[in-house]
Amino acid sequence: MQADKTEMRLRELMLAALDGDGAAYRALLADLARYLRPWFARRLGTAYASHAEDLVQETLLAVHTRRITYDRTRPFTAWLHAVAHHKFVDHVRRHAIRPTVPLEEDAPVFASDDSANAADRRDVEAVLKFVPERTGELIRETRLEGATIAEAAARHGITETAAKVSIHRGLKSLVAKFGRGEP
Amino acid sequence: MTDDLIARLSSDLRPIPPRAIERRLWRALLAGLAITSVTAWLVLDLTLGRPFGGAFGGPMFWVKMGYTAAFGLIGLAAAPVLTRPDGRIIWPLLVAGLLVLLALALGTMDWMRADWSMPVLMGNTAMVCPWLITLTGLPVLAMLLAAMRSLAPRSPTLAGFAAGLVAGGFGALVYAFYCGETGMMFMAVWYSLGIAMTALLGAIIGKFALRW
Repeated sequence: MQADKTEMRLRELMLAALDGDGAAYRALLADLARYLRPWFARRLGTAYASHAEDLVQETLLAVHTRRITYDRTRPFTAWLHAVAHHKFVDHVRRHAIRPTVPLEEDAPVFASDDSANAADRRDVEAVLKFVPERTGELIRETRLEGATIAEAAARHGITETAAKVSIHRGLKSLVAKFGRGEP
Repeated sequence: MTDDLIARLSSDLRPIPPRAIERRLWRALLAGLAITSVTAWLVLDLTLGRPFGGAFGGPMFWVKMGYTAAFGLIGLAAAPVLTRPDGRIIWPLLVAGLLVLLALALGTMDWMRADWSMPVLMGNTAMVCPWLITLTGLPVLAMLLAAMRSLAPRSPTLAGFAAGLVAGGFGALVYAFYCGETGMMFMAVWYSLGIAMTALLGAIIGKFALRW
């Protein structure tokens, strides 16, 4: 469910980017960096975690220069995963790193991101179901994913003020529902 | 740092039309074929004295056309998929293998009827045919590999192999215009060998040239 939502959102951004939409492209790359950083760090292991940023940049660069190879009819996350995996293997070979990742910790790129750890995130997703869908997305984008209110408002095609009001009301209703007295 | 990179990349965004890979490969193929047609005439006709259309008119000429074009088209079907990072495709390789088997089976029956006579198998040009086919396909191979360098194959070797299959198929097709042989077994063995050699050459070059 979560992955499907990610796929739909990223794919839409990618399709817009392929058509020349610079803003969507910038949002896409920023999103990808957020997902890729922890994924590389986890796969590299603690000893080489400092390489993660290099790999993020290499992968973004590859996404840019090889974006012609994305087939519009296929899932975007699968393509991105293939690019990231290729860059990872290439990097590890070149630097003669021998990373060991415990099997149970290996996960696809989009399993988790920087904004919260996975368990908290599931809770948040469950809670956000209690507010209208757009409000929930606005809250997630601004409070968890680090978008500014202006960016989130633009993404949903509403004014900044409307977004602010919507977020405020949403949070207030959630506090009323789940908070125990304290705001 | 990464933010700078993102800003730089998103300011350098040019739109990509749908099916851009296919178009790029087709363009490379046409350019390669143009060069091949000219060099084949210069080398095969003017230098080696092979008249254009040596086997025109016979049914075997058309069999050769179909057989060689089939490999080119099979390679062309596989190439766009194999040049993607998440591309997997296996049926073109199977079809290509089956096609060789079919040709060998038909050729063997033909050869059996000729009482296994060596001249039917070897024709007059068996020793040069595979080499000349590979040579004829080289311009196409070079153009295709050059076009593939900006793509992102999951396996550079397989992508190179597909390029080689296209180059071998269309190289053999052009070569067939200058080839006077009319034996089925001749085609099944020596044409197949020439195409396979081109495909193998593509795989070897691709392994190194198509890294990304």
